[in-house]
Amino acid sequence: MSIVLELDHLSVALKRGRGKPIAVLDDINLTVNAGEMTALVGESGSGKTIASLGVIRLLPRSAEIAGQVLLAGTDLTRLTESEMRRVRGRDIGMVFQNPLSALNPTTRVGNQIAEVYRLHTGETDRAARARALDLLGEVGIPDPADRLDDYPHQFSGGMRQRVMIAMALACSPKLLIADEPTTGLDLLVARQILALLSRLRHEHRMGVLFITHDLSIVEEHADQVHVLYAGKSVEWGTSRSFFAQPRHPYSQALLAAVPRLGQRRLASIPGNLPDPETRPPGCRFAPRCAFREPACEIDYPAPDAVGGTVFACRRAREISPAAMLDAVLEQPAAPPVVSHEAVLEVTLLGVDYERTATSFLQGVLGRKDKMRALDDISFTLNQGECLGIVGQSGSGKSTLGRAVLQMIPYHGHVILKGEAFDAMSRGQRKRARRQIQVVFQDPKESMNPRMRIGDIVAEPLKFTGLRGQRARWAAAAALLDRVGLSDQMMNLFPGSVSGGQAQRIAIARALATNPGIIVLDEPTSSLDVSTQALLLNLLKDLARQDGLSYMLISHDIAAVSYMADRIAVLNGGQMVEYGTAQDVLARPRNAYTRELIAASPHFRSHHLGEPSETLTYHLSTAQPSAVQTATAQTKEFNP
Amino acid sequence: MLRMITQRLATATLSLVILVTIVFFMTHATPGGPAFSILGQKATPAAVNALNQRLGLTAPLWLQYAIWWWHLLQGKLGYSYLLNRPVTQLIGDYMMNTLALYIGAILLALVLSIGLGLVQGVTYGRWPARLIGALQLSLYALPTFFVGTMFILYFGVKWPILPTGGISNLRIEHPGLLDYAHHLVLPILTVGLLGVAALSRYFGTSVHEELGKDYVRTALAKGLTFRAVLFRHVLRNALRPLVTILGLSFPGIFAGSVLVETVFNYPGLGYLLWRSALSQDYPVISAIVLLIGVLTVIGNLLADLVNGLLDPRERYE
Amino acid sequence: MSHSLAQSITAPGGALRRSAAERAALWLGDRGTLVAGVALAVFVVGFSLLGPYIYTANPYAIHGRYALQGPSAAFPLGTDQIGRNELARLIAGGYATLIVSIPAALLTFMLGIVYGLAAALSPSWLDKVLMRVLDAILALPGLVVLIFFSALFTPGTFELILLLGLTSWPGLARIVRNEAISQRGRDFILATRQFGGGTWYIARVHILRVLAPILVVNATFLIGDSVLALSGLSFLGLGVQPPYTSWGGLLETGLNLIALDPWWMILPAGLMIFLAIMAANLIGQGLLARFGQAR
Repeated sequence: MSIVLELDHLSVALKRGRGKPIAVLDDINLTVNAGEMTALVGESGSGKTIASLGVIRLLPRSAEIAGQVLLAGTDLTRLTESEMRRVRGRDIGMVFQNPLSALNPTTRVGNQIAEVYRLHTGETDRAARARALDLLGEVGIPDPADRLDDYPHQFSGGMRQRVMIAMALACSPKLLIADEPTTGLDLLVARQILALLSRLRHEHRMGVLFITHDLSIVEEHADQVHVLYAGKSVEWGTSRSFFAQPRHPYSQALLAAVPRLGQRRLASIPGNLPDPETRPPGCRFAPRCAFREPACEIDYPAPDAVGGTVFACRRAREISPAAMLDAVLEQPAAPPVVSHEAVLEVTLLGVDYERTATSFLQGVLGRKDKMRALDDISFTLNQGECLGIVGQSGSGKSTLGRAVLQMIPYHGHVILKGEAFDAMSRGQRKRARRQIQVVFQDPKESMNPRMRIGDIVAEPLKFTGLRGQRARWAAAAALLDRVGLSDQMMNLFPGSVSGGQAQRIAIARALATNPGIIVLDEPTSSLDVSTQALLLNLLKDLARQDGLSYMLISHDIAAVSYMADRIAVLNGGQMVEYGTAQDVLARPRNAYTRELIAASPHFRSHHLGEPSETLTYHLSTAQPSAVQTATAQTKEFNP
Repeated sequence: MLRMITQRLATATLSLVILVTIVFFMTHATPGGPAFSILGQKATPAAVNALNQRLGLTAPLWLQYAIWWWHLLQGKLGYSYLLNRPVTQLIGDYMMNTLALYIGAILLALVLSIGLGLVQGVTYGRWPARLIGALQLSLYALPTFFVGTMFILYFGVKWPILPTGGISNLRIEHPGLLDYAHHLVLPILTVGLLGVAALSRYFGTSVHEELGKDYVRTALAKGLTFRAVLFRHVLRNALRPLVTILGLSFPGIFAGSVLVETVFNYPGLGYLLWRSALSQDYPVISAIVLLIGVLTVIGNLLADLVNGLLDPRERYE
Repeated sequence: MSHSLAQSITAPGGALRRSAAERAALWLGDRGTLVAGVALAVFVVGFSLLGPYIYTANPYAIHGRYALQGPSAAFPLGTDQIGRNELARLIAGGYATLIVSIPAALLTFMLGIVYGLAAALSPSWLDKVLMRVLDAILALPGLVVLIFFSALFTPGTFELILLLGLTSWPGLARIVRNEAISQRGRDFILATRQFGGGTWYIARVHILRVLAPILVVNATFLIGDSVLALSGLSFLGLGVQPPYTSWGGLLETGLNLIALDPWWMILPAGLMIFLAIMAANLIGQGLLARFGQAR
């Protein structure tokens, strides 16, 4: 097997202004073989993007690089800038996250692809255009000849990423670096992109360095896995042995934190990722690790190997994987008393949205055309239950949430505890709205950046009749305590807390009016995997303690399956599937639901160190028997 | 594309209607009304009444409004009291002079702004950008009439190398293009500097913002040189907001040119406006106010349309 | 280039934060602008408002024998064409300029905020009407409208304040409206509505609070604009009326006599206008940089 890329003791230090350089990437060793895919996995702030930019040397000028970057034997760190330019685009193709911004919005995609081909081959415009056409066809864009002169915004997210890939392939590079290429894409589309990359690397015998924060997505396709934490490698090895049995406490927790269909407990990691300036001297994971001993905090552990992976942990040998997992798996609170009393009924709900007018007269009058965004939605939410609303972006799932929250006009009925909103007076309506609270996707967006956290949490209390600033702050402190935050945070501004903390604050505020229902609009999709697990567990506990009902809106059916008692699947503004979570997951009637289920990560026994025979989901068919077995088995965790 | 054009046309039309209405009320509903300004503050009530009769100002306001529109659509803007010529005819000559000054100044400002803005955007945070930033701030704080006066003091009085007034040499029978150009140098330079202050800052910021975008990284990752990325990818995208700013800054630059025309006795609309204001030549003032408004609305409309042409996202909306 | 790239790479992941020393340097850097602005402002305001008490020479006294003389010990900034003390006139002109400009800017500020917020928080049809009206008003350069109205009557100090204030607000109104609109749909506003916050509460507690930095910065810029507009108007002979003088008026007199090369009648007045506007802009710029960092 020939090696395409080898990072040999690669370290990167970045400097801002006149300050001292800070090591963001520390002593990384990694190889990518021809025709193979190496997955570089890490949460935000782990330095994975710095690694990819270090390879093609697009780091800021002040960056200090130590070690070697060997591309087919040539050390890229020793090349001159003009030699390096010939490598970029010709020998190494890059695919970035968020193709809408990574492509020039005002240049036709055909020209953007042709540009790189012409640059490195010196071919004519005509030849470059022909090449661009071939490439668009190769990456699976339908009717490529018609799309060649389109602009990036005219493509869908997935198609845009295919255009990016076509551009990266233009000069048949030896190595393709894909930096979070699937982030922000719907799951089904992400899977297709991954399958495409897999096919291309086999056909072209091209090495792929796949950078991601999402372990589950590379499970099928990667040959090698390399996990980064705070700029250091913590565990690496073949994908097969890594997924069979990760050894480092961090990689174990990371793997068990990904929600999977059929899972009943999620692993979570307390604390936050350290900033590059404040990284601990020893093992960087030590402050968050349940198994740390004094030695861990002194120096970084030497690599050790058991099974098929190499890991940097001095205790992984002595502690059994099962014990490690137990330390991170959260024990959910006792199941609630579910009254099966309907708190929210929605019948025949529909929402129209307006489109700007087409004619001159309409323009003058400010008239708009109406389009249907949501149609014929009916469901019931019982007390203490969680209803999962699943759908792709544009399916109308957020619109549904906003209609239930009475934020937008709708037709049909939303009935709260037997009383329909449309039959209420203004005052009644205002009070009733308080019964339904909301947690948004981006927690920082959902707080006034110029208000103190104490004021943010206390604000709703002004409307519930609680008099006195002091009383409200005391109540706010109690609310923060319920979501596991200290009241010392109350004097801070939202800008200085982490994303996970901010989302907890948002939950605390939502709880302030003592609502019966909380609409959770993609509450975890802006968070890292480990933080997401922590938050989902918290939400679950809160519901169980208080009998809260949730409407959980998400694109991630696996996360929904972890939380929901019932699931509704939306597609194109229609509810295509609705039923109890078990029914929907086990016996999906709709083809779209089946696709979604098949594309999601599934619960595998070895993630929790259990015998594997009985717990495996059967991927594509999702036979009822398998689901029932899975549910039966997982009950063991909830004695 | 068609949708965008109709949309913009609709808004512009609406703006024009409102504009005309505002100008109508400015001229007809202000205390005293036109009669006072024509006859002076100390006019006898009888004289005012007589004049109001003659000008049709005793009719109900809605009728006056309708008549105002009717005349406007026919291009009748009344007679200048002072020069006793139809306002429409009078304004024509002056407008050409103003356009010559304005276009020259804008071209100068654009060339300088693009150069300065590119340097500023590329060197953002380092000394060249800071220097340009300080320059912009100073230019912005320099009143045009002060700059113009200083130009006259130095290039007309201390070292008399350039003409400082009028549009042509009155002693020459048929002044050539060169003579006009000669007279335009100082006014264009003065208005141009005002334009540079406004435009270069926007353009510099816009270049800096574009350079921070992801597609720049993509282009570099293709193996393009920084220069190629700057001129092939960034420049075009950074220029787009400049078009909007150009449209929006028309009133500001015109206001500057009123003062500049006055300083240089340059027979443009601004100069005419000033002369008419001093002598309270009412029809001329309101006609100029209206004209400037209309030109601005049209300028903004054009900027919008050009912008739409430059940005495929709007073109295919 | 490398700098912006560094930001684009490190900002999203938050991999890098500025060191304490750098933050201090940056803060000082911004403060440099701010300090310079405040120092200039103190000078300009002190010169104009306290000047009459320190330099007590009469700006209206005519010293016929000393007409049109350059700077001397008796007349530090020379005399005008009828022999009035130019330094005393510069001080008086400053007083007349600021006494109109600052209240006018305040009036503009309030009108702009009220109109902008009203538009942003109105139902969408009313917002559209208000914005079309604003577009139309904005199409008329402020100075042109000012000239129009000053031609109607001879304005005194109070009328000038009203005139300037009533004609300069549309720019700010548009900024406020657009900013408020961009805040209006943000999640924290939606959350506030959900627990019962009404429109007035949201405007008062949330939108004004978020807009505060922008408003403060614009308020300082408005003072600069106001000085410029009044000086321009006075330069045209339509602003502050004789016998009172203003910086714009002083410049006009200088221009009328320019063939005689009276630089002392032109340069000081022009510089004072420049310094006043510069002070406002520097303060605005300094505040902008500081607020930008705080976000």
